[in-house]
Amino acid sequence: MARRWMGTPARALAVSAVCALFTTTLFTHTPSHAQQATGEPIKIGAILAITGPGAGLGVPTRNGVLLAEKAVNAAGGVRGRPIKVIIEDDASNPDNARTKANALVHNEKVVGLIGPSQVAQIVAAGAITDPLKLPHIVPAGLSVPVERDRKCVYHVLPPQDLNARALMEYAANAMKIKRVGVLHDSGYGNVVMGALKAISSSYPGIEFVAIEKFEIGATDVTTQAAKVRASNPEAVMVIATSGTPFRAVKQVRIEVPVIAAIGSSSYEYVKAMGESADNVIIPEFLVGEDPLPDQKAFVEMYRKEYNLTPKNFEAAGWDLVQFMVAALKATPADAKPAEICEWLRRPHKGVLADYDFRDADLTGMKLTSFVYSKLIKGQYTRLPFRVSK
Amino acid sequence: MRRPWLIVLVVVWALLPWVLGRHHVDLLVFAAIYTIAGLGVGLLLGHCGIVTLAQSVFYAMGAYASAIITVNLKLPASLGFVVGMIASGVIALALGWPVLRLTGFFLAVATLALAMIANALFFEWDWLTGGTVGIGAIPKLGLFGFVLDTPLTFYYFAWVVAAIAMLLVHNLVAGRTGLAMRGMRDSLDAARVLAIDVHGLRVTIFVVCAVLGGVSGSLFAHYTGYVSVASFTIDKAILFLLIPVLGGAASIPGVVVGALFITFVPELLSKLGDFHGIVFGLALIVVVIAAPHGIVGTIRQWRKRALDESTATPGEANK
Repeated sequence: MARRWMGTPARALAVSAVCALFTTTLFTHTPSHAQQATGEPIKIGAILAITGPGAGLGVPTRNGVLLAEKAVNAAGGVRGRPIKVIIEDDASNPDNARTKANALVHNEKVVGLIGPSQVAQIVAAGAITDPLKLPHIVPAGLSVPVERDRKCVYHVLPPQDLNARALMEYAANAMKIKRVGVLHDSGYGNVVMGALKAISSSYPGIEFVAIEKFEIGATDVTTQAAKVRASNPEAVMVIATSGTPFRAVKQVRIEVPVIAAIGSSSYEYVKAMGESADNVIIPEFLVGEDPLPDQKAFVEMYRKEYNLTPKNFEAAGWDLVQFMVAALKATPADAKPAEICEWLRRPHKGVLADYDFRDADLTGMKLTSFVYSKLIKGQYTRLPFRVSK
Repeated sequence: MRRPWLIVLVVVWALLPWVLGRHHVDLLVFAAIYTIAGLGVGLLLGHCGIVTLAQSVFYAMGAYASAIITVNLKLPASLGFVVGMIASGVIALALGWPVLRLTGFFLAVATLALAMIANALFFEWDWLTGGTVGIGAIPKLGLFGFVLDTPLTFYYFAWVVAAIAMLLVHNLVAGRTGLAMRGMRDSLDAARVLAIDVHGLRVTIFVVCAVLGGVSGSLFAHYTGYVSVASFTIDKAILFLLIPVLGGAASIPGVVVGALFITFVPELLSKLGDFHGIVFGLALIVVVIAAPHGIVGTIRQWRKRALDESTATPGEANK
């Protein structure tokens, strides 16, 4: 009797679940780059979204992190000791991010933490590092109020109100349009959308004629895109970490210009956009095809290492490691985590931008640091527009 | 002493966090939380023959109730637990009454649909749940003026709650209700002939399962200090089903083993790098095929077979 009930639905479902898990992992994993460490390495922890919906952020960041690790060690490491960045994949899940943070901090005894890549995961991992005042730098912008209280969690991408302003500046001053439709995801996009609404009074000429939200990881958002199209906008803002909404815009034949937030600027997402990447305008920091003078050395080094052109998240990964290493070099070998964290609270010059970690947004980036680019046949072209003040 | 192994078990349990690193204690806390949720699924699956994929819904309700009550409304954490349990139970009653008239695959699909709908609502109602960004800064639990703010302190609390849940479930399945449940599981018609209120019993156990899910979710919220819709996806629903399936659905220790398996094995395999998910998938396939009655169920079968063989007379054995 017992054999009959156990044999059918539960086992069948379990086997199906296992097969689904197996298939998903098989098709989302990415090649790793093994690093050789010698001597007594100084351990730095990194949690990144290597798999799952956030992989488009985590994978390029990992490349930047590994390049920085290699460069630091080639240059003699920290006080003659090599650094070892222990990279963990949170699979784009906040529960995993928290578990990984616990393992890195308490098992591996890392001196600082880098990442995660996404808002929810950062908040979850920050709950581990904050009470210890462990130096923690993330490749994302400040997004939710709880992050303002975590004074050792620094950010190397703009806070979301700055991202929102960068989008609005282009719509108001470069395009001089009045009717804007928005297509945004439920995480990063939701936070930027909140910021857009909050600053909209500073741009009285612009009206949001449609605001459509979709879930992170959604594979079809044509319904939402169709609603945006029906509102007859003069431009569409896409705020997401995915190529999906761009394909949807193309599918429903939205012909007006598309302005996208920096979250979708990685080449992983450009590949996912396919043909729909053409003419998308992005306020960002690094145009690998046409870098600013002080970005050229990094771009050349990255190309030599990976035979690829870097973008913002690769540069962010590089900056994260460099700032952490600078703090380790500048503080005594036996410095407490809070001392290293305190040292970081100063201006820093990065490849991506100039920062001031003393700022209340724990980033100190300026609107004038943004450059604007347009995607043409899968390549970025820098636009002449810059925010003047 | 009738059960000396129980004393050994309690001593090992009490000493374990002092031997293990903080990270492993953290995993053991999650194992306790998942054990409580898994007990509910095990009750339904192992004793009633009902496959539910809706436990993530009640787990989420418990978590959100605790988060909203303590963070948004600034009310005591104990109220969050109570509201989470009541809300989970009431929703389970309202949903279970019509849905539990179904059986087999249809019922499994219906509960899966419930999990999907609930996940969509948690996502859409971001004014309440915080959506993907979630609700942070959930206060740590306090007990008699003592704050449970480390994995070590929470370990003892969570496992005591899990032990109470196990005891209650044990009493339930060891009594007349348990007999009725198993009768219903093995033959619905026979159970009806014996005047068992089959539908009422199924709904009652579904509510019990939901309340356990609610408690588990509240513990999760206070332990992690953060809840987001990403923690309550279909993956979590499948995970809760895997706990009794892997460990042994009809056995309480089996649920504990299942919870330990799904907590520790992925973490241990994560050292393999990007391929850890594939290896974990293979490990699950191996366990499901090699131990069709769950790990504990299969061990019990082996032991029973060995006992039968050792007690059989030589003449019988030669037959």
